[in-house]
Amino acid sequence: MKVTVYVGTGGVGKTSVAAATALARARTGIKSMVLTTDPALRLRSALRLQSGVLEQKVTLDPPSNGELWAGLLDVKTTLDEAVRLYGDPKLVDRILNHPIYATVANSLAGMQELMAVERIDQLRKRGFDNIVVDTAPSRHALEFLDKPVFFAGLASSNWVKLVGRSYQFVSRTGLASLGRKTVDLYARVEEILGANLVRQVLDFYSIFVSIAEGYAERAEKTVALLKDPSVTEFRVVTTPQKALRDARYFTDAMASRNFPVGVLFINRAWQPEPGPQSRDGLTGRLVDWYRAVRQAQYGEIERVRREYGGKVRRIAALPELDRDVDGLDALERIAGSLGELTASR
Amino acid sequence: MAAQSRIVIFCGKGGTGKTTLSLSFGLHHAAAGRKVLVVSSHPLPELAVAVSLDGLAQRYPAAAQNLFVVHLEARELLAELVRNNFPVQWVARAILESDIYNNLVEVAPGLKEFYFLARLQQLAERKATAGDYANYDLLLWDAPATGHFLGTLRSAKAFETYLTGPLSVAGADLARFFSNAANIVLLPTTTLEEMALQETAEMCQALDQDFQLRPARVLLNLVSPVVAAAQDEVTRLSRDAEQSNDPALRFAVERGLVERQRASEARRQLGAPTVAVERAQHWSNDLDLLSQIGRTLAAVPVNA
Repeated sequence: MKVTVYVGTGGVGKTSVAAATALARARTGIKSMVLTTDPALRLRSALRLQSGVLEQKVTLDPPSNGELWAGLLDVKTTLDEAVRLYGDPKLVDRILNHPIYATVANSLAGMQELMAVERIDQLRKRGFDNIVVDTAPSRHALEFLDKPVFFAGLASSNWVKLVGRSYQFVSRTGLASLGRKTVDLYARVEEILGANLVRQVLDFYSIFVSIAEGYAERAEKTVALLKDPSVTEFRVVTTPQKALRDARYFTDAMASRNFPVGVLFINRAWQPEPGPQSRDGLTGRLVDWYRAVRQAQYGEIERVRREYGGKVRRIAALPELDRDVDGLDALERIAGSLGELTASR
Repeated sequence: MAAQSRIVIFCGKGGTGKTTLSLSFGLHHAAAGRKVLVVSSHPLPELAVAVSLDGLAQRYPAAAQNLFVVHLEARELLAELVRNNFPVQWVARAILESDIYNNLVEVAPGLKEFYFLARLQQLAERKATAGDYANYDLLLWDAPATGHFLGTLRSAKAFETYLTGPLSVAGADLARFFSNAANIVLLPTTTLEEMALQETAEMCQALDQDFQLRPARVLLNLVSPVVAAAQDEVTRLSRDAEQSNDPALRFAVERGLVERQRASEARRQLGAPTVAVERAQHWSNDLDLLSQIGRTLAAVPVNA
């Protein structure tokens, strides 16, 4: 199995590149899935993704021996599923209906990425040969490589266990049974953060702990998969304007986690070069502007090649498509420019 | 100095230029002699990587004295709360170092966002005992990307509804403050990419529904000269492109016309005037870029 994880900041066309990668792989005859968070309308319609549907097989034209699937990463739905799958049946309803459950699902930092890891695990078991993950458009997306660790820590840290169990215990026997020192500290924390909030949180985690434990175990296995370079490749998508900063940031951030960046795609490079004819009016202004911006783009691309050529497996500039190329055609065009077939591992 | 200041919020999708535009706006007003406080969603070392203010004191001495960029670290705000509540040092330290406290702060939903908002309100109402930027004239919030931004605003309402007691009362008060158009100048920032526009529309709808806030101006960032051009010029441009076989010209014109179309749709859909910020052609350093953009943003009224 092969996993490709795309990272990058917002507005760089990461989702399209990820979908095109999955498409290129499907064309080689395998079962391929692109997991994405929030595709734009046009991409949604290209993949014929209906809203509310979590997973869908994409009809290819011309048809292919392989299969292209598109999946949405929805934190709440994935977590709901995990709770139903792995939760203690007696507690499932209490968890799903807990007043802070929805907030935890949607606001806990890194939850989105955690759920991506959860989905990779589920897909692997269902026989997908190739999974392309489009991470959330944020520099913080990489935290998903740290968060399972955090979550595992949280689950096994005696804290959740202790607090969870002691909460159940205390609710039966009263605070005094905790021992004076703990009660003291606990009371003070409550005093500051608000008793109500603290109790809600403790109550929630006391029933959530069983899920967290099982989850942490699976997350650790999946993260091990992500750490295996024969399975997983990390790729950065950026634009010419952001290329140097993104290359610097992501290669450093990945290196510090011992995940090398495999490919750096510099997307949306303006291709056609304007002719020498000089023009006046708005046309002249537009051509001058276009020429200057384009020149700056290629300058940046060159700098990135010079600085990072030796540090990643491949650097490629992808063209910005004409606006009239749409739907699956656009994805096929991008797929063609990725160099997947010749350069894939 | 006004008793209370409106918070000028630069919000929108990640990567659309909220940080650049808020700093440009700040630089412009600081250079004009106003004391400007920019509350950045980026920790300052991270911000310095994204936009460099190196050389500010040499090149814009007036602005350097008036421009304050701060990052409010929620964990630090909470620690401050602990220290204020427990003046005895070792008690405060014991709490701050305890697992119970640290884990709770990390997992309690909305807690950090809530305290961040509360501090922002304090700053706006000039109740915060801040340092040399306490008596600013202009308060800008370079907000985090849409999801986190809305989550931050919603934390107030969440506290109001799912808690009881003092935190709930505080939540209600905060929610009221951030739902009052008299306190907020909303400047959604977007590019003319399809996804960014879609997200901007959804964000504005949520802000209107949940907080009764409507945009004062919509900032269209990184656009081509076609967006803000006069209609007769655009007609001539289209004709030039049709008669030309230069693929670059056709590409640029086609792109520009799509953007122009989207800009007019955005104006209609979002119900606010737009300000087009052209993609800069030449700049030798970030300050140069900020000051170019700042001149364009001079058209944005602070009390709109």
